[in-house]
Amino acid sequence: MSISTRAISATRGNGARHNGTRRTGRRVEPIYYLFLLPSLVLFTLAITIPGIIGIFFSFTDSIGIGDWEFTGFTNYIAIFSDPAILQSYLFTFGFSIVTVIVVNVIAFLLAVGLTSRIRMKTALRTIFVIPMVVSGIIIAYVFNFLFSNSLPTAGAAAGIPWLETSLLANPDLAWVAIVLVTAWQAVPGSLLIYIAGLVAVPGDVYEAADLDGASKLQQLLKITFPLVAGYVVINVILGFKGFLNAYDIIVGLTNGGPGTSTRSIAMTVITGFNGGDYAYQMANATIFFVVAILISLLQLSATRGRSAL
Amino acid sequence: MKMTRTKRIGAMGLGLALLAGLLSGCSGDTGKETIRFTFSKREAIGFMTKLVADYNASQNKTEVVLDTSGVDVVSASFVRGNPPDIALANYNMETSRFVQRGALSDLSGTHAASLIREDLKPLMEQYGSYPDRTSALPYSVMASSVIYNKEVFAANNIEVPKTWSELVAACEKLKAAGVTPFQATWKDDWTIAQGWFDYSVGGQVDTLDFFKKLAEEGTDVGPDSSASFQKDFDQPVAKMLTLARNYVNKDAASRAYGDGNLAFSQGKAAMYLQGPWAFSEVAKTAPDLQLGTFPLPMTDNPEDLKVRVNVDLAAWIPEGSKHKDAAQDFLEYLYRPEIIEGYNKSQLGFTPTKDAPVTPDPRIAGMAGYYEQGKVYQGPSVLVPKTIPIMNYTQAVVFGADPASTLRTLDADWARLAFRQ
Repeated sequence: MSISTRAISATRGNGARHNGTRRTGRRVEPIYYLFLLPSLVLFTLAITIPGIIGIFFSFTDSIGIGDWEFTGFTNYIAIFSDPAILQSYLFTFGFSIVTVIVVNVIAFLLAVGLTSRIRMKTALRTIFVIPMVVSGIIIAYVFNFLFSNSLPTAGAAAGIPWLETSLLANPDLAWVAIVLVTAWQAVPGSLLIYIAGLVAVPGDVYEAADLDGASKLQQLLKITFPLVAGYVVINVILGFKGFLNAYDIIVGLTNGGPGTSTRSIAMTVITGFNGGDYAYQMANATIFFVVAILISLLQLSATRGRSAL
Repeated sequence: MKMTRTKRIGAMGLGLALLAGLLSGCSGDTGKETIRFTFSKREAIGFMTKLVADYNASQNKTEVVLDTSGVDVVSASFVRGNPPDIALANYNMETSRFVQRGALSDLSGTHAASLIREDLKPLMEQYGSYPDRTSALPYSVMASSVIYNKEVFAANNIEVPKTWSELVAACEKLKAAGVTPFQATWKDDWTIAQGWFDYSVGGQVDTLDFFKKLAEEGTDVGPDSSASFQKDFDQPVAKMLTLARNYVNKDAASRAYGDGNLAFSQGKAAMYLQGPWAFSEVAKTAPDLQLGTFPLPMTDNPEDLKVRVNVDLAAWIPEGSKHKDAAQDFLEYLYRPEIIEGYNKSQLGFTPTKDAPVTPDPRIAGMAGYYEQGKVYQGPSVLVPKTIPIMNYTQAVVFGADPASTLRTLDADWARLAFRQ
């Protein structure tokens, strides 16, 4: 803030000295600050201040209402020995990594297909993008029905015993169902970004490659892929960030079960609100916040060179 | 520039004036004191709406406004310092937070408080209390136990079992006849916790005593404490698994509560571990099905039989209410015999007042005797703070997790909670 104010006063000073060049001297219209103001106010009121209050309460024994007192780092010590919370971190990170890979592989291949010269390109693109406009909880309930009723019925009819019980009731495989459904919803978003990236690749490089006798696979690996690498980075970062916050699809599919095998971090934090454990889960949220910042920094430094491409 | 600024300020002023107008509209002056009454039990909102209308018509001092927004909204209203003036709400660990932190006012001086059955007080206090206060009064007690299909029992010549051996024998007989003994809905973890787990543990363990000891042990809960999940729940959970492994529908793992109601109404199983709320659901598809209830026998002594109860509704008046006197007048009205008994009759609940006649619906008649004699317990699954995911744990055990290690986890969770509170 102080830097920009100094910049303004500097430009104003210039304007005053060279009175003739009034129009060019006043570079920053105050109206731009006005444009920033609503977001700044809303972000501060709705995100920053509650965030700081939350971090403050993570050092107390508050339940959200009534009397509370300071407990120092007690909540943090308890978290590091809480298997339920540790497991939720393990699950969330494992799930996010797998889902990011699945989503990006599928989306990239689909995008390559949908930008090549095929028939009914527009219609197909529309169909593949539709899952994006359906809300997560609705998708989850529909798939929940498919997994619990349709698949077992089909399995029984076809005589496949392992398919007769729901995938969602299997503690070792329920996460696969969650990955599938999340990917189904997340692919279109990545797909659109990849299509945009692929369309931007100039056609003449392919013509040159054709003349040099490169096969289609070689073209894909040696031309297309390096040229859209920046988009891969965007999709991986955005996707990973989104999957770490996984909530609605899991609630609709397994609600954290069977047992505690699919409880995500966001789900454990929410239990702090409806389970009367506000301060403890605020400590959990604070840890998650720090972890998320560390990951963002890592990603930023690792991709700085890449995105310059 | 100057022009627009003036306009902007003018618009802002107009907006503020509008807002002020809206706010003042809320406190409309009708000469009556307005109190906000929170009640969100979906099935009974029709009943309560009529009751409130009757009360408003019966006197001209107070105007009661029914607020049917749910539990979360009420919690938020406490945080904002704008709680309801009076509430009838499910009494559980969430409400007990308000009790323990002194957010609810003392009702011990009311006439209604003097009507409550003495033997129900331990059930209320089991959720914690605030020194020298009666923070909440029970209004409706729900009892739950095994629901059984009388027609299936009669067709297979089976009597209501009173001991564990009789229960197992009955299950074997049903199984041999090709009838599924229990309809299970394990996809919904709460149905395992509420029915399978609570009935099994409550039928064998004195939960009042167990949780008292557990609270005293606090951070010391573990293999060597005077009470622990791994020691005291070991037997009941093993018996629960005996039933769960051998006598349930094949597709139990992928069935949810709604599926269970449908299957049970179609006579596909003999018994169903659900509460009275399931009756109206079953009646939707089978209104004439003959159903009864009996406590799940877990020991070989019929004297041990008990039914699970929960305080489905309790009345309380927040300390932060600005209309406590008007709210207390309405409270006394709610506890008039014809009102409280009428309510409980309509909802298949039991009235917690001293001289209330017990004239139960035939479907819950099997539990009335136990309730009258005070042979009741509250389910362990609702006595564990919600921050411990006990419903998930019970589901894991039924799905094959090692019961001993799950119960050890419960002990560790309990000790950790005690450490940070």
